[in-house]
Amino acid sequence: MLMAIGARTLQFFEDTGQFARFGSQALGCSVRCLFRSHAYGLVSTQINAIGVRSVPVIMITGAFVGMTLAIQAYDQLASMGMEEHLGVLINLSVVKELGPVLAAVMLAGRIGGALTAELGTMNVTEQIDAIRSMGTDPVRYLVVPRVMACLLLTPVLIIYADLLGVLGGAMVSFAHLGINGRAYWDFSAHGVAMWDLGIGVIKGFFFGGAIATVSCYKGFTCKEGAHGVGQACTEAFVLSFISILVLDFGLAVAAKAIYQSFWPIRSIVG
Amino acid sequence: MISQSESKSSQETPVLEIKGLVKKFGQRTVLKNISLCFAKGKTTAIIGPSGCGKTVLIKHLICLLRPSTGEVLFKGQRIDELDESALAPIRTRIGFLFQAGALFDSLTVRENILFPVRQHQKGPAFKDADDLVRNKLTMVGLDGFQDYYPANLSGGQQKRVALARAIALDPEVILYDEPTTGLDPIRSDIINELILKLQRELAVTSVVVTHDMKSAYKIADRIIMLHDGNVIVDGDADHVKNHTHPIVQQFIHGRLSEEDLASLNVSSF
Repeated sequence: MLMAIGARTLQFFEDTGQFARFGSQALGCSVRCLFRSHAYGLVSTQINAIGVRSVPVIMITGAFVGMTLAIQAYDQLASMGMEEHLGVLINLSVVKELGPVLAAVMLAGRIGGALTAELGTMNVTEQIDAIRSMGTDPVRYLVVPRVMACLLLTPVLIIYADLLGVLGGAMVSFAHLGINGRAYWDFSAHGVAMWDLGIGVIKGFFFGGAIATVSCYKGFTCKEGAHGVGQACTEAFVLSFISILVLDFGLAVAAKAIYQSFWPIRSIVG
Repeated sequence: MISQSESKSSQETPVLEIKGLVKKFGQRTVLKNISLCFAKGKTTAIIGPSGCGKTVLIKHLICLLRPSTGEVLFKGQRIDELDESALAPIRTRIGFLFQAGALFDSLTVRENILFPVRQHQKGPAFKDADDLVRNKLTMVGLDGFQDYYPANLSGGQQKRVALARAIALDPEVILYDEPTTGLDPIRSDIINELILKLQRELAVTSVVVTHDMKSAYKIADRIIMLHDGNVIVDGDADHVKNHTHPIVQQFIHGRLSEEDLASLNVSSF
């Protein structure tokens, strides 16, 4: 019993160490690749595969988040006679929290699964070994373009999700719930600051980096056979999802601390 | 271990050398204190039953696997301690043909062959890309297949394209991991002829992992047999054929032992 616990603990630390090493290698290579123009071609291919093709699903996610929020929040606000504040609630929730998190979860499923499956298949068919055998670093060739594409595109995709979330919420509020448009936008403009939008977008960098690194790592370390690839995809999604939630909490705490620190300065400047 | 060619090998320049190689995966020891030299321009076949460590051994020669203990040397330079970036220039001098080809399925034949060239040669040399691809594909008899994807090729064609990729940088050494496995006898013989042709035309040093005895006899100057992590035979084809070790005889004639038959509940006939 004790031996089993000890073995599992050791395995956990070994896996964590390997992941940290993989992540730092990917990060280091990414920074170096920023200064090498020939790496841009590989990043551009991944931008198309990862980013452009994700736009429709991200927009659908954002739109339905906004529309659902409108339906669900209306009754509570209406019972207090504050239905015209619905825009603040919807837009703040969408740009600060639900848009970034749900878009990232959707990306973890769409992109993360695809990255793990692609790299996992390359791993079990010895294509990654083939890259190494030809004197090329597979992290530089395979991981860096994917990490860079996710880092660059997740914030952009979050903006798409936010935009459609705002429009979806407004559409339901005006057309279905009969909220006054002028009041809706006035309260929204007053309640949602650029800071809130910025925090949501900044979260995207962290979410994108986490999704790409976790998914690529799981692909690189997946076990033999179809079962191994399938298992790696499941683990990649679960780990990406947990990473998104943990990062979201950490970033919310950090953002609040930063906001409170700079709030007095903002008041003086304002 | 019986080593007929040991004294002869020691006089020739070893291109690749392994000393006291031990490889463990967890508690399991796959290779047990193996020392071998691979002479320049010669073809060595490594034979042995499935799971005896042949692929593990050949992967150590290009440091895709690192020894638990022991050394790997390329032209006298120890390479098993080098990091991946320091290994890159050495790996460009060694071609590796993987068991299943390991072609990049998202790239065309042309792009597969140009992959190592693009990674290591820039500028003027790269302008001759089309000629280089045509030249390599002609060597393996597949000129005209430049724009095919690996999925559109047969198993034998994939191995030939993989061979063309392995020789794209004109390596001094080519390592073949079971090049004829999964191919019919005609396709297997095409691969054998290609290995002989490359040795004749490019004077490369070849190490071939195989359990195809017909192939080993045809292409190899020297045959090494692995069993249970040890080298049990090292010599030329005649030496192996006449060896008295029962495991060697069982293997080269494809016969099961009495114990193997008993474990299957099948009586000898």
